[in-house]
Amino acid sequence: MTENKQEPVIDHLFRHQYGKMVAILSKIFGPSHLELIEDAIQDTFIQASLKWRTEIPDNPEAWLTQAAKNRTIDLFRQISAQKERKNKMIHGSATLKINDFFLDHEVADSQLRMIFLACHPAFKKEEQIVFALKCISGFSLREIAAALLQKEETIKKRIARTRKKIKEKELHLDYPSPTEIHHRLSGVLQIIYLIFNEGFHSTKEHALVDRDLCGEALRLCRHLLQKKSLRSGSVYALFALLCFHASRLEAKTAGKKVIDLRHQDRTQWYQPLINLGHEAFEKAFQFPDQSMYHLEAAIAREHIMAESFEKTNWSNILTLYEEMYTLMPTTSVLLSLVAVHVQMHQLDAAEDILQKVDAEKLEKRKYLYHASYFEVYQKQKRHKEALHEIEFAIALCPNQMEKDHLRRKRDQVVESS
Amino acid sequence: MKEFMMIFLGADYEELGLSPEELQMRMGKWFAWGDKMKAQGILRGGNALHAKGKRISGPDRVESDGPFVESKELIGGYYTIAVDSFKDAAVVAQDFPDFDLGGTVEIREIIQFDRE
Repeated sequence: MTENKQEPVIDHLFRHQYGKMVAILSKIFGPSHLELIEDAIQDTFIQASLKWRTEIPDNPEAWLTQAAKNRTIDLFRQISAQKERKNKMIHGSATLKINDFFLDHEVADSQLRMIFLACHPAFKKEEQIVFALKCISGFSLREIAAALLQKEETIKKRIARTRKKIKEKELHLDYPSPTEIHHRLSGVLQIIYLIFNEGFHSTKEHALVDRDLCGEALRLCRHLLQKKSLRSGSVYALFALLCFHASRLEAKTAGKKVIDLRHQDRTQWYQPLINLGHEAFEKAFQFPDQSMYHLEAAIAREHIMAESFEKTNWSNILTLYEEMYTLMPTTSVLLSLVAVHVQMHQLDAAEDILQKVDAEKLEKRKYLYHASYFEVYQKQKRHKEALHEIEFAIALCPNQMEKDHLRRKRDQVVESS
Repeated sequence: MKEFMMIFLGADYEELGLSPEELQMRMGKWFAWGDKMKAQGILRGGNALHAKGKRISGPDRVESDGPFVESKELIGGYYTIAVDSFKDAAVVAQDFPDFDLGGTVEIREIIQFDRE
């Protein structure tokens, strides 16, 4: 088997191991030592990356795990030297064998606890995302900054704030109490949803980072589903939604341009993820809870099941959006309703809804309001008004790629009229 | 056939704060480069070096602890290769994985002492 030594290390091994190790060591030493723990693990990877330049070990994962165990012993010495001798947590766990913490089910448990810690209500939403990406998913500050389109300095500050809060509020790696768990779980789902959307709806050039964000969101969600007591309709519905969307990632980002649903090559949609999505979708309805994720997953599913864009079952989608609007009456949902009516050639209905939209509420996304009017006017053959609206949309659009997309639409109208 | 040493300067992974993903990606590139040189039969040896070090200098043999230079000057490792000319060595060095991190390859010919 020596020839197999040349096999490349499996994708994302370092990143995934990083998350595991941070979780294990945080469980052993407590998350107040997070900075020390992360530095130690980072160093393990630097050493590995140097040593493995010339020869990759037979079992890279085992090598890294052993390195982490050695680090644990180092950290024991380091931390107990730091006047922490009286800390009963360390005394308590010192009696346990370090190996026990590295057993598979223990690792999975530690990681779940980390997810709940990341979504602790003491953190703000933007801190939760950053913390999760850093400590659970092993992203560097620079990668997070690129993924969230923020300055690296901003990300650094957010991480520092979470570390400070962990110390001040003495947060531990505990599960929330049974009375609190559902509330906390909904926060966790929200963060997973946000991480996914950052990746999926992004139009920046770093497509690779975006794909990784989507992958991480899926992974976190699957973690939740592995624990029986955490399974619920909402978790399954979210997982289904993420699978349906993620199956379209390749088709959506072929080349440098973002390809919209209408023009995607449907044969490129990734079937295994679609199957997973269908399975999860079915399970989502076997629990008593209902959520927005159920509706969103149902809409995504309609798109996935349509043979072509033209054959999409728009009336089903319309019903789902209407249901969504009764639960969550936002301007974004209204715009979705408009788009569906346009597809169904119900232009008067579309215009009626648009008149109800308070464009100011859309803030940065106000261009979507004008883009919607453009679609309606264009179908009504009111070309002059349509052009007027699209110029508005182009001027207001904050995103370059999206802007180009709108420009192409405008140019098509100019050519055809 | 001459021998050359490729000395790698700068691109200190520790200081650059590379993510685990990036470290793995870099490692893969280094591995591939080493593999390529092995396949060409030109690789003679090489090592990576820790940043920490010790210097002993002068008649008084003064000892000091390093690193001694800024990280972009720091030697991170070396390879020795057997090729015909500086030109060929420079071609091999094109595959050095860390140029994009501001790294430098210095190529020096190894003096061949008379073996007869």
